Amino acid sequence: MTLIIAPPTRLESALAYLNGLLAGSEREVRELRRSPDRLMALVTAPLLTLVFLAIMLQAGREDLAPFAVLAPALLVLWQMALQTSGDTVESERENGSLEALVVAPAPFPAVITGRIAAVTTVSMLGFVESWLVAALVFGVRVEIYHPWVFVGAVLATAYATAGSAMALAALFVRTRAARAFQNTLTYPFYILGGIIVPVSYLPDWLEPATRLVFLSWSSDLMRSSLDAGPVQGVALHLVMIVLLGTLGGVVGGVLVRRALAEVRQTGTIGHA
Amino acid sequence: MVGTRLPRGTTARVVLASSRNAWADLAATFTPLTWTLGWLGRIVAQVIFYALIGSLLGSPDRMRYLYIGAAVVATAMETLLVVSTSTRERYSGTLPLLVASPSRLWPVFLGRSVQWLPSGVATATVALFAIGPAFGVRFTLSSGFAAFGVLVLVAITTYGYGLALAALVLRFMRLRNWATNLSYTVMMLICGVTVPLSFWPVWLQGAAQVFPLTHTLHVIRLLEGGTGDSLTILTSLGLAVLTSLGWYGVAAFLLERLATAGRRRGSIEFAES
Repeated sequence: MTLIIAPPTRLESALAYLNGLLAGSEREVRELRRSPDRLMALVTAPLLTLVFLAIMLQAGREDLAPFAVLAPALLVLWQMALQTSGDTVESERENGSLEALVVAPAPFPAVITGRIAAVTTVSMLGFVESWLVAALVFGVRVEIYHPWVFVGAVLATAYATAGSAMALAALFVRTRAARAFQNTLTYPFYILGGIIVPVSYLPDWLEPATRLVFLSWSSDLMRSSLDAGPVQGVALHLVMIVLLGTLGGVVGGVLVRRALAEVRQTGTIGHA
Repeated sequence: MVGTRLPRGTTARVVLASSRNAWADLAATFTPLTWTLGWLGRIVAQVIFYALIGSLLGSPDRMRYLYIGAAVVATAMETLLVVSTSTRERYSGTLPLLVASPSRLWPVFLGRSVQWLPSGVATATVALFAIGPAFGVRFTLSSGFAAFGVLVLVAITTYGYGLALAALVLRFMRLRNWATNLSYTVMMLICGVTVPLSFWPVWLQGAAQVFPLTHTLHVIRLLEGGTGDSLTILTSLGLAVLTSLGWYGVAAFLLERLATAGRRRGSIEFAES
């Protein structure tokens, strides 16, 4: 008797991907519940809101309060994505479970995407925290003058964050120094992403680099949505955020697959 | 085996032996290249991030204030990594061996994380003296040397606080990163790093006094501005040393209690209390 294993159909592949995605999200939610470290960014965000707001208020610049309130929320988004994409790979490697995860039938990129999607959703709480703390501690109420633009910017940013995290995960699969990279990829990105200071304040020669960082488009658009004046270039900003996020996701996905194929061949995925 | 002439059984010998571990840890964590490009680059970016807020405010003075604060707090932040490296002893399963050894526990932990002191001083030194002038931060030769000395004191005094925190967190391991990050952010908030102490209510100004950083940072600002008289500077340095000694005392007490209670209850393994 000959056993013929047929290649999976498109539907089967899609279902396997969906399964992996759901399993990844479930796993991340469990992980978030039991490891306080994963929620670190959400714990420090209220204090950072106070740090930034205090700077603006002490300088007598209440008009810049929206900048101060927005920044910690964006920090949370980036930090949690960075932490998840790095820790997902690194902790599995430390556990010795990375090999098992890679050879499991569920596609590895789907599991990672599921985990990243779950953490990105949770990190949205950063916005709520910042707004609440500003109102409760300093009595500063930051009004959202263009709610639809704001919501659009937040959703597009969440999507782009998840996409970029995928690219980061690809980097972390290859390196043994994921945690060192995690540290390095914070503040340089906060500057290039104009998280608190718009990139127009940076030297001109840096501008091309800032436009490759989706956060620079996100922070611009979100700040504009908090301003009473009309918002310019909504479509361009949204398209750029989504485009850069998609680019990160696609490149990340391809790189993860390639890295996995390579480490499978060389047998260097785990502790080797 | 410790190559030293210090007599066996002395506290100094234990601290020295433990510090060998610290240097080995640093060498395992960073190469000169990864320290410079990765770690130093990240810290400098952090300092610039805060200084740029000064440019947003349109005030060179605010930029200078924020730059100095963020540069000096980097030393404190790095010194607080004592919490992470101390708690690693418990994760690695070496804490029971340390408790079982004839030495007391506090000298071991005192030496265990000293690698962060020179590292923290070096990052702030580069930020303050090499890159600082681009942000309006200027020291004369003498005030620069004095400020460097105070940076060393920032590291040593904050290490006491960090050690006490580590001793506390060794009982609540899951909170170790929260403790470090919250401490560091509270320092940013109330110790005169980003806004003067006078911005805060009196009770919060009082709370800031327990952090040695409040006093040492104040001295560095006086040295940079060329405005401090000797008495003010010496008083602030004295307060930094005093509060720090208090923290070192708390750390030693908590570490010894951890060892005693752990021996009695047999809870020192990987358990949390």
